Amino acid sequence: MEERVYDLIFICRPATPEEEIGKIITTLETSATELGGKIEKTEKWGTRRLAYRVAKHREGFFVYMVVRSSNGDIIKELERRLKVSDPVIKYQTVRLDEELKRQQKLVHHRERRASRRPRKQAATPAAPQPIFPPAEQTAAGD
Amino acid sequence: MSDEPIKATPEAAPVSAAPAAAPAPSAPRHEGHHSGGAPRREGGYSGGGGGGQRREGGGPGGPGGGPGGPRRGGKRQFFRKKKVCRFCVERVDFIDYKKAEMLQPFVQERGKILPRRMTGTCSRHQRWLGEAIKRARNIALLPFATEL
Repeated sequence: MEERVYDLIFICRPATPEEEIGKIITTLETSATELGGKIEKTEKWGTRRLAYRVAKHREGFFVYMVVRSSNGDIIKELERRLKVSDPVIKYQTVRLDEELKRQQKLVHHRERRASRRPRKQAATPAAPQPIFPPAEQTAAGD
Repeated sequence: MSDEPIKATPEAAPVSAAPAAAPAPSAPRHEGHHSGGAPRREGGYSGGGGGGQRREGGGPGGPGGGPGGPRRGGKRQFFRKKKVCRFCVERVDFIDYKKAEMLQPFVQERGKILPRRMTGTCSRHQRWLGEAIKRARNIALLPFATEL
């Protein structure tokens, strides 16, 4: 069973009280646990300026979560809850496990390449050595 | 003596023109003597196509950007300036869409994504960058378009 990792970001209206945001987070955590998933990380980025107007607001309260689950339906449920809740004006889920896998693969390849290089450098100095003795002989002959 | 080859061509022209003209009299070709040379000239289409292909390689700098030298980021024969892919130098494996400050240098004031030849990014990182910018736009970290 592959474990999927998702990045979930949602934006609440700027004037939302902290308790409401806390409530939303708790609801999401509960739903996630019910469906066999796990919320690994929750970060509140606070009120930030939005790049464009969303629901007639210029600022929003950003919350970032990392969801880990082997079941894909969990995201459907979480997004449904976010859609229904009033303070949330925007949300986005990004699936990241493939990207993380690729990242690890690249790091792994790079380390392997780095460990191979010193051997190559040791091999090359051996090549020019045979050239020296004939030159010395001719110099000695002269 | 010099007249003979000159005479030869007009004789050859109608001979070649006749089979060409007969099946398609309404073909969009120049009539008359030039039709013999039409396949070469008429690369009005092929000339345009060839020029277009050359344009892709030449780019704005043309052959001036030649001595780029071998770089880890990728082949860079056609660039005007010697630009290195920032991400390749830093060995970045993942371009995070959540970091808008990191993506900002690759976006115009109007919000458009800058082309690779301006930033010097390699193709792989440019793809990742594009994806990251689009994700950031979706979550309102970067604008879609700003009016100047």
